[in-house]
Amino acid sequence: MSEGTLQRVEGDVAVAARGELGHALEPAPGLLPGEERPHPSPFKYVVIAVALCIVTAIEIGTSYLQGDIPNGLLIFLLLAMALLKFVGVAGWYMHLQTDKPIFRRFFILGCIAAVILYTIVLATLSVFAA
Amino acid sequence: MATIDQTTRQTTGPTTGQTTEVGGPPAQGTPGHDPHATSTGVTNTKLAIWLFLSSDCLFFGAFIASYLLYRGRDVSGPGPRELFDIPFTSATSFILLMSSLTMVLALAAIQRGDHRRVRIWILATALLGATFIGGQVFEFTEFSREGLHVSTNLFGSSFYLLTGFHGAHVTIGIIWLLSLWGMSTRGRLPTKKAESVEIAGLYWHFVDVVWIVIFTVIYLIPQPR
Repeated sequence: MSEGTLQRVEGDVAVAARGELGHALEPAPGLLPGEERPHPSPFKYVVIAVALCIVTAIEIGTSYLQGDIPNGLLIFLLLAMALLKFVGVAGWYMHLQTDKPIFRRFFILGCIAAVILYTIVLATLSVFAA
Repeated sequence: MATIDQTTRQTTGPTTGQTTEVGGPPAQGTPGHDPHATSTGVTNTKLAIWLFLSSDCLFFGAFIASYLLYRGRDVSGPGPRELFDIPFTSATSFILLMSSLTMVLALAAIQRGDHRRVRIWILATALLGATFIGGQVFEFTEFSREGLHVSTNLFGSSFYLLTGFHGAHVTIGIIWLLSLWGMSTRGRLPTKKAESVEIAGLYWHFVDVVWIVIFTVIYLIPQPR
């Protein structure tokens, strides 16, 4: 079989495969490309916003407890609340909860890479030393 | 094996016998459908914005790490204890948080085809973002009046660089949103282009998420004595 014929056959197989699999790559009815489940309703968005405001208020109030509680505990609480808000916005407002996992994987990879990299950098420069 | 009719470019499945149009027009009634099907099942644009946001995590991580590195090591000049106005910054943080809500409501509106509400929510998002930037400018002006400039000390350079880059991101987002608003007023943002609003929304929410981290790490976490 000549090379030209081989290439034509490969192209035809690729087109046929695309034709067979094309429907599997299309979103289900009522969903946008990239969605696995429908996005939250506007009411749910408002509920999430209220929750974020409450957590923010608690976070700000907690910051005023400096001196009354150990610094380590204070920092832990503040970072935990920040993480909660981060997950709330990323999960629901950025639709990571309802979209295909590939987006979640890329974003979490970037976040984890940043945290690990800069923790190593700061540790190397003795920022965490007592 | 699937057969291909070269004249019509239609394929016929080997087992189903169904005929599928190859490279045909997008399906009707599927807003945002990309006629160029991808192998990942998601559009290239959306994947690209997520990759960009992923890289932007590293970008902001570098500046936050620099701030943490220089924290408490100033030998002169004003520091955060003298300058920070937590209630004021809390108010601007709240404004930015609400802009995330209006942004996601704009996306919900375009997905259901309510274009009037799209314009309202996009404009509200841009205005809230502009208010946040106004707050940042006021804060920078106050700090400058107190004697803190980029070159004053380590705190000054790391603080202005981090919050300045964040502010630049917000400003770019505002321009993006205003351009979407303009497109919508001219009827050039139909429901099938909902993904354009979604992508702008992803960028805007990321900017909000970064501020959540900045606000906690810089403003709220106690300063070393």
